[in-house]
Amino acid sequence: MAFCVLRTSFYNSNRRDTKILPVSYVGNPRCTPMPKVRILFRIFAISFSLQVLSGFFICSARADDGFIRSEIHKLTSENTATRKDAVIALAKTGDMRVEAILQSYKLSELYVWNEAVVLCKEIIEDEDFNEFCRVADVLTGEPILDAGGEPHEIPVEELEEISPSRAERKLANSAKFLLRLSSPDRDIRMSGAKKCGDPPGIIASVRQLREMSENDPVKKIRYIAKESLLLIRLNQTSVASDPHAHLEVARELGNMKSMRGRPQLQKLFDALMKTPNGAKPVYDDARKTYKFSIDQIDGYQGFVGGVGNIFRGLSLGSVLILMALGLAITFGLMGVINMAHGELMMIGAYATFEVQRLFGHSPDNPSDLYYIAALPAAFLTAAFVGYLIEVSVVRYLYRRPLESLLATWGIGLILIQLVRIRYGDNIGVNAPTWARGGVEIVQDLVLPYSRCFIIVLCGMCVLLIYYLMNYTKLGLRMRATMQNRNMARSVGVNTQRVDRYTFAFGAGIAGVAGCAWTLIGSVTPDMGQTNFIIDSFLVVVTGGVGELIGVICAGLGIGVLTKVVEPTQIGSFVVGAIWAKILLLVVIVAFIQFKPAGLFAPKGRLSDI
Amino acid sequence: MRLKVGSVIFKKTATAESSNGGNAARLQSFRTNGLGLKSQNAQVAATGGWPIFVQRYVPWALLFVGLVMIPLSYYTGLIAIGTVNMLGRYMAFAIVAVGLDLIWGYTGILSLCQSFFFALGGYAMGMYLAHHGGPEGIIDANNWKIPACLYVVYPYKVGEAPGDALVPWFWKPFYTLPVTALLGLLIPGLAALVIGYVGFRSRVRGVYFAILTQAITVAGWLVFCMNNMKLCGTNGLTRFDRIAGFKLANPSVKVSLYILTLLSLVGVYALCRYIVKSRLGRVLIAIRDDETTLRFSGYKPYIYKLFAFVLAGMIAGLGGMLYAPQMGIFTPANMEASASILVVVWVAVGGRGALSGAILGALAVNLLYNFFTSEKDFLLFVWKAEFWQFILGGLFIGVVLLLPGGLIDLWRRLVRAAR
Repeated sequence: MAFCVLRTSFYNSNRRDTKILPVSYVGNPRCTPMPKVRILFRIFAISFSLQVLSGFFICSARADDGFIRSEIHKLTSENTATRKDAVIALAKTGDMRVEAILQSYKLSELYVWNEAVVLCKEIIEDEDFNEFCRVADVLTGEPILDAGGEPHEIPVEELEEISPSRAERKLANSAKFLLRLSSPDRDIRMSGAKKCGDPPGIIASVRQLREMSENDPVKKIRYIAKESLLLIRLNQTSVASDPHAHLEVARELGNMKSMRGRPQLQKLFDALMKTPNGAKPVYDDARKTYKFSIDQIDGYQGFVGGVGNIFRGLSLGSVLILMALGLAITFGLMGVINMAHGELMMIGAYATFEVQRLFGHSPDNPSDLYYIAALPAAFLTAAFVGYLIEVSVVRYLYRRPLESLLATWGIGLILIQLVRIRYGDNIGVNAPTWARGGVEIVQDLVLPYSRCFIIVLCGMCVLLIYYLMNYTKLGLRMRATMQNRNMARSVGVNTQRVDRYTFAFGAGIAGVAGCAWTLIGSVTPDMGQTNFIIDSFLVVVTGGVGELIGVICAGLGIGVLTKVVEPTQIGSFVVGAIWAKILLLVVIVAFIQFKPAGLFAPKGRLSDI
Repeated sequence: MRLKVGSVIFKKTATAESSNGGNAARLQSFRTNGLGLKSQNAQVAATGGWPIFVQRYVPWALLFVGLVMIPLSYYTGLIAIGTVNMLGRYMAFAIVAVGLDLIWGYTGILSLCQSFFFALGGYAMGMYLAHHGGPEGIIDANNWKIPACLYVVYPYKVGEAPGDALVPWFWKPFYTLPVTALLGLLIPGLAALVIGYVGFRSRVRGVYFAILTQAITVAGWLVFCMNNMKLCGTNGLTRFDRIAGFKLANPSVKVSLYILTLLSLVGVYALCRYIVKSRLGRVLIAIRDDETTLRFSGYKPYIYKLFAFVLAGMIAGLGGMLYAPQMGIFTPANMEASASILVVVWVAVGGRGALSGAILGALAVNLLYNFFTSEKDFLLFVWKAEFWQFILGGLFIGVVLLLPGGLIDLWRRLVRAAR
């Protein structure tokens, strides 16, 4: 018999929801569902007793299946109040499997069959247009099997649909959030606490929120629960009915610097400004309170935003420093401008991509170790390409910066095109899982781990270069060659080898920069040419080629300046990335007027390049 | 005191010798072998024989071909109008290349913002053409027709109805051709003056200046790409229709534009040649070869550099003005970072330090581009347009490593060998 899928849901508008929730999700991911209900009962009983014995808190949110089933059965009741109670009771079990059940309830995927509630996700149709339904167990989502072990297919006529009213669907939706409040997972609990407070607010959650705001082990959740509680109360009360309590809540939100409270307060404030009878002292008081709270929040958010921008600038600056260090060293050592430096960075990024592929890392199937391997791989690949560039082209161009600029630009074009032909125009490097999210140092100030990592990486590279330059033989030879090539050669330094290693090393650092960039930016073949080469040269120009410290200062300065200016607002005009860049350029040009050779000018012969 | 005296003597000798037929030994000494670009003119002229004949008459023959043969072969049906149009565009590029040669080949300043000046000129002309372009367009409240290309990307402010859109003030001067032509030269010149002043005043030199101008080009490109600058964003200026009342689509208008471009190229070449042969030109060469010594001799190099830079900028603007009507569209892509370096490669391939080399290079590279960006089926493999980047990259590397004097140097060597 040939079947075809007729429809996945009765509500086409909700089709997407159906797809998001795969059948397997019905089971609690933490406690693998068993195929047969009876076995499941037994195992559950054992595990429950084990839990009690060990006092260990693994699956505490798993409610008694019997209870859930009885509550689900109540959903079939004719009585609206019973159904409503059942939804709330289900929500309060805190069992994450219930979320899927409520979702199915909302989408009218639950049916009554043989006095039992079953789940039916799709209706299939045979050649004669008879409609059948593959029913599944409502709690586990496993298909119900007939005697022959095949999935049971039941004619639609035998099923009785449970179709909740609009209000009930809404309730089921909010009950989902209520449910999350009892989850053992902190992220789920946090999102539940957040959702419960969002307008109009779920009043049924007040008691639980209050409890959470005092007792939850996670500080952030305590804060969010309290915030949600206040938001619900802010909505419940009004200036007219209970000014004292209402304003107390508003004041409290201000004290908490609640970001989520800001739009609510603004709305109330605007509404109050429009009321004609706003002259009453109570209203005046309310207006002042709102305004004060809003200002409090704004002030704090401004501070947080500023610090966040500086931080973003620091991480951008770090990437620029990694790029510019190689440039400054090769320029200082050989008088060569390497326009292919951006492409070396790009090669580092693509090496990261290759390593990721090798490890099979993807968002669904993370294997975070790949990044550890990617760093040296990016360094070595870029260094190798850099070495080849030095051997094949650059060594003929010492002390001819303009010619080297042209030749290396040509190399860059070739590298870009090679990569483009091999990989296409855009690839996805997925950051390792540990680089997602961030650390919240103070309230609302989240520093992404990826950017923290880049800053640390840059610091380490700088230290490494410092060590290399000052405490190793290669560094000594490098500095000797930089100061006076002929003299260095005459005392036995193999300057050619020094040049090669230095160039390769600088290229490798650019590769590391590319690897770091994959954490925060997109990877394209021409990323170096369009985004980085000019900026990193400006860093070199501003910092001067003489000293590492110049590059570091200039890099951080340019990075921070860009990111701080970008979101600045003058009146209704937001500066934005482009004007920030132009402003930066103007600043650099003005700066060069006073210090033509950069922050830390090279001395002696170097200055006459 | 000593310096001053020296400079006076120096100036006197220079003047005396320049009137003496151009064999200024003193200034010639500035032409060190650093770039290996010594002009061989004098030596060739001294030996005589058929090379001198070639040297003297080849340019005239080429001019004859360009001015007479090509239009003639179009009218006799030998070549398509598209080819004439293409040559016209490449000659507009050659104009830019001559300007860059003046500033880079002779004065030794690598400017990477010639394409920016080119685009400024092009935008000026493009705005004029857009004013008189396309049948559609909306008449604004002040009775100005909003050009169609502008109207498409006109960013409305919130609450501004489509009918409230006005032609921006900076579009208005470009309504008439003479003013446009003037502004198309003045605006790039002014931009060059500002950039050159801040650059040369603080003695930003060599590669630093190159990077700085490159950054300025990128900044300019970003600005012209912005929609709310009301310069049509990345779409660029489109829907050109008429120039001075003549339809651009008309083949004889295209031929006329081609001839105009060719004549402009000849004019620019003559002007630059006059400059580099004059005493001023020798000061420029002195700046290239040893700026410090020149400064110690009492000259103010930055005045001369500024002059050359502004002139080169205006020449680039002229090129842009001639390019826009022949191309039929003008987008910010013309001033991308890669475009600015491309101008350099034209000159490098042709041979810097020789004005004819710049023309040769611009035409050669562009014809190569034209040839290699179409798909070709060679016996063993299929040539794809995307491989052009390899050729271009190879040109950059090859010309620097193997042929520092460019094609013109190769030609001269051939002529010398034939002697």
